[in-house]
Amino acid sequence: MNTFAAVLWKDLVTEWRTRDRAVAMLVFSLLTVLVLRFSHPMGALANTDEIAPGLLWVAYTFSSVIGLNRAFATELENDALSGLALAPSDRGWIFAGKALANLLILSGVQFATAVFFGLLFDIDFTPVAGRLALVAGLGAVGLSSVGTLFAAIAVRTRYREVMLPLLLLPLLIPILLSAVRATAVLLESGVLPDGPIRTLLVIDAVFAILSFITFEYVLDE
Amino acid sequence: MHESAIDRTAARFRPILGLSLVPLSVAYAVLVMNAPLDRVQGIIQKILYVHPAMAFAAYLGFLITAVAGALYLWRGEEQYDRLALAAAQVGVLFCTLNIITGPIWGKGTWGRWWSWDPRLTVTMLLWFVYIATLLVRSFTEDPARGARFAAVYGILGAPVMVLNYFVIELFRGRAIHPENLEQGSLGDGMGWPFLVGAVVAILGSLYLIACRIEVESLRAIWLQRRREAPDGGECT
Repeated sequence: MNTFAAVLWKDLVTEWRTRDRAVAMLVFSLLTVLVLRFSHPMGALANTDEIAPGLLWVAYTFSSVIGLNRAFATELENDALSGLALAPSDRGWIFAGKALANLLILSGVQFATAVFFGLLFDIDFTPVAGRLALVAGLGAVGLSSVGTLFAAIAVRTRYREVMLPLLLLPLLIPILLSAVRATAVLLESGVLPDGPIRTLLVIDAVFAILSFITFEYVLDE
Repeated sequence: MHESAIDRTAARFRPILGLSLVPLSVAYAVLVMNAPLDRVQGIIQKILYVHPAMAFAAYLGFLITAVAGALYLWRGEEQYDRLALAAAQVGVLFCTLNIITGPIWGKGTWGRWWSWDPRLTVTMLLWFVYIATLLVRSFTEDPARGARFAAVYGILGAPVMVLNYFVIELFRGRAIHPENLEQGSLGDGMGWPFLVGAVVAILGSLYLIACRIEVESLRAIWLQRRREAPDGGECT
């Protein structure tokens, strides 16, 4: 548990002092939204309601990949990764600390992205803001848990920036499908749909548990 | 020593599998040629004897990959890793053939190449997942670490695919694949070629897996001899 708090604290302090990762994720995410907006005929926003939830999650996914790539890259300096692996506790807690730090950073970026997205696509998120945050958060839990595990793998391969999305994206489909469905229903009717939320919870639990257990073998120095 | 149970089994069964495939393939070809033409679909329906058989072999390969990967992490014996690698490669091969034959049949029968049917989508994702396990292995410098990474990814991939199936069914689509074959759902004369096709594909994939394991175990023996050689294994 101490390891968990220490890793979490270290990651957040490093991030706060440099703000590298959050800024990179945020700018990338805003640019993604901009590109998505341009892919739509300018001015015409006729069927935005249908595609907006999917586009929003595209931006979330891409920016999380950018951030996760950095999550372990900093640990390569001075071979800090070996130091982490030598910590005298269950390595699962290192994973949990890292994943929670990633989750917090991603949530901040998600919030700013949603604001920008709402402005560009002319959607008013304010009436459903709290519920939307819940859906985004549930999706982010799944993204950060497998994402952190795969970031630890990808960082020690060649072409690591390419490897992470190759590993991550195929396994994200269940999260994306349920999150997009939940967002779509929420924007349309203003209520949280039961089914997709329950599915998200199940997927989050499966991903978190599997990642927690298998992280041991990934950080095997 | 590198000769462990899995390598021995592969070496013993490879010739038997190879020999049995010769008459079976001939029988398969004859049965498919003589199978009746479908009244509605015509000749294209004969892809029935190829397409699902490829899927069975692909799923078998992926199942072996996940189980062998878990055993490798648990026991740490290289033989399980050789099995996982062989099964993943052969699985990708059959999955590719399945994904190629599917749209050909789909275009002829459903009128379009692709549909977001759950089984179709999950098979395509499986294909991506297992290509990623092969990539992560070859992009990792240390082979033992690459094997571990591939095993971890393979273990995560298997349950996610099951989950995926339900999620897609829940939110996306109507299934347009026929439901699991019930007794007698195939027309007269169609059962045998279908069955023999499935057997040939499964035996064929086991044969290829055995060949692949033999290559890998020879490679392991060669590496070990090179390490043990007094001159550092330089070729003279």
